[in-house]
Amino acid sequence: MILDLERFQAQARPRWRDLESLLAALEGRPDRRLNPAEAEQLQELYAHAAADLNRVTHGALAHELRQYLERLVARAYAELYYAPPTRSEIWQPRRWLRIFTAFPETFRRHVRYFALAVLITLLGCALGGLAVRYDPASVDVLLPADYLRNPGQRVHEEEQGQGQGRHLDSAQIEAAFSGQLIRHNIEVALLAAALGVTFGIGTALLLFENGVLLGAVAVHYTRQGFGLFMTAWLLPHGVFEIPSILIAGQAGFYLARLLLRRREDRNLRQSMREWLVLVAGLAMMLVWAGLMEAFFSQHHAPVLPYGFKVAVAASELVLLTIYLLMIGRREIGTASRSSVPSENR
Amino acid sequence: MIDTQSTRASTAAELTIATPEGVLFRLPLAGPASRLYAMLLDSAIVLGTVNGVGLLVYWIFSKAPGFGLMVITLAEFAIGFAYSALLEGYWNGQTIGKRLFHLRVIDQDGLPLRIEQAWVRNLMRVFDALPFAYLVGGLSVLSSPLMQRFGDRVAGTLVVRQTPLAAPVEEFWMRQKYNSFMDYPAIAMKLRRAATPELATLIQDALRRRNELAAYARREIYRDLATYLQTEISPFPDELLERLSDEQYLINASGILFGDQRPSRVQG
Repeated sequence: MILDLERFQAQARPRWRDLESLLAALEGRPDRRLNPAEAEQLQELYAHAAADLNRVTHGALAHELRQYLERLVARAYAELYYAPPTRSEIWQPRRWLRIFTAFPETFRRHVRYFALAVLITLLGCALGGLAVRYDPASVDVLLPADYLRNPGQRVHEEEQGQGQGRHLDSAQIEAAFSGQLIRHNIEVALLAAALGVTFGIGTALLLFENGVLLGAVAVHYTRQGFGLFMTAWLLPHGVFEIPSILIAGQAGFYLARLLLRRREDRNLRQSMREWLVLVAGLAMMLVWAGLMEAFFSQHHAPVLPYGFKVAVAASELVLLTIYLLMIGRREIGTASRSSVPSENR
Repeated sequence: MIDTQSTRASTAAELTIATPEGVLFRLPLAGPASRLYAMLLDSAIVLGTVNGVGLLVYWIFSKAPGFGLMVITLAEFAIGFAYSALLEGYWNGQTIGKRLFHLRVIDQDGLPLRIEQAWVRNLMRVFDALPFAYLVGGLSVLSSPLMQRFGDRVAGTLVVRQTPLAAPVEEFWMRQKYNSFMDYPAIAMKLRRAATPELATLIQDALRRRNELAAYARREIYRDLATYLQTEISPFPDELLERLSDEQYLINASGILFGDQRPSRVQG
C-alpha cells in the first residue's frame, strides 16, 4: 500500500508534538514522577504513536519518519515502563546510613563465597610458606620488592628510622601516604571483585597470589626471629586489609556465580545491589586500614610497644568479627528479601 | 535511498525491542569510536575538576600539605568513578561527553538505567581498562552483538546513539493545484497501480534531493527516471510530454502516486 504520508503526517503531527513536549517535560524531572492526568495522556499518545509507527512502511519520507517515530515511541516506552526511585528515596540520609547494616547482612548471606576466597588464600599461604620454609632461595622469586627479602635490615631501618627520619611533620607524610594506600588498596580490591566476569578465574588467581605473598613474608620473617615485629608491623592494618581483600574475592565469586546462571534465573537488579553493597563495605574497611597503616603501624618499639600494637590489632579483629557476624538482621533466609526496602518500588 | 538503508542495516548494530503492545522499534547502538571520544572528553573534564579542587584543597590545607595531598588523592579517585556513575544515573544516562557525542546509556530492555546499574558499569571500568587504554573493553565491544563492554554486560546496559531528530518537513511541490496527468485518468490509474512502493520512493527522493544534486546529475537522473516511467510503466501521449520537463513529469507522477490527486476524482 502506498500511504499518503503527507496527509497522514499532517493529521498526526499535532499528536507527535504533544508527545514530544510531554516527554521533554518528564525527562527534565529528576524523579520522573507523573501525575494521573499526565499518565493517561502519555499512555494515549504513546498508543497513537505506536500505531502510527506500524503504519509507516514505505514511501520517500518513510525512513526518516520511521526513525523519528521509533525514537518517539522508545522514549515514551521508557517513561511508561520505568518505575523511578522517588526523590525522598534518593535523598534520605537514613537510606544511605543503611549501608552500615546492609553490608554485614549481605556478607552473611553470601558467606560461602567468602569461605571459598579464604580457602584459596590459605592454599596460597601454604604454598608460599612451605616454599620459603624448605627452599629459602625461593624468596628471591616469591617476594617482589627488595625490602621484603631482607628482614634484618628492614627491621633495623624501621626501628632506627623513627629516631632521625621522622621529623616534626611526620604526620604530613603519613597522611599523604595513607591517601595513596587507601586508593591503591581499593583499586586492587575492586579489580578482584570485577574479575568475577572472568568466571572467577581472575579473582582466584589474584587471591592465590596474594596468599603466596602473605605466606612467604610470614614464614621468612618468623624464621629469622622477627615474628613479633612483623605481627606488630602488619596486623594493626592487616586485620582490616586482609579481610577486605577476601570480601572482594567474595564479591568476585558472587558475580561469577551470577554470570554462570541462566539468563532467566538472574535477578540482576537484586544481585547488582548486593555486589555494590559488598564493594562499598570493603571500601570503608580499606579506608580504616589505610589510616591505620600510615598513622599507627609504622611506629615501632620505643614509641609503641609491640605488645600494645598486637593488642590493638586483636581488639580490631574482635570488633570486625562482631560487626560482620552480629550487626543487622539475624534471620538470613527470610529477612533478606524484605531487608532491601527499595525492592517494592 | 533504498541502497543506503540496506547497507546501514547491515553495518551498524541495532537493538530491536518488542513492547508488550506488539510494537517493534529499533535503537541504533553506539560504536567504539564515538564512545572513546566521549570518554576522553569526560576524562579531561574530570581531570580539570580534580585540578580545580586540588588548588582549592592546597589553599585550605596550606598549613598541612600532607593532608591536602591525601584529600586530593582520594578525591581524584572518588570523583573519577562518581562523575560517570552519578551523571549517568541521574541525568538520563548521559555524561557531559556522552551528551556532546549524542550517546546515551540505557538498560538493555530499552528502559532508562537505574542508579545501581550506573555504578556497576562504571566500577567495572577497572577491568575494562586492562591492560592499558581500555583494550579489554574495546575488544569486548567489538565482539559483542550489542556492543557492550564487560561493565555493560554485567550491569545489563548498552550505549545507544541519540542524534536529535525532527519530524520530516512537508514539501512544497507535493501540493500543486493542477496536475496535467489528471487529464488522462486511465494512464494515471495505470501508473498508480503498476508502480511499486520502492519505485515511488525513488521518484520522491529524487525530487526531495533536488537541491543536493549537481545540475548535470539532476538532469540525468530525472531523464532516466522519466524515460523509465514513460517506456516501462505508463506511456503518456507525446503531446503532453512536449510541454513537460523531466522534472515536471516526475512531480506530476509523484502527485499521482502519493497525493490525494486520485485520477478518479475531480480536482477542485
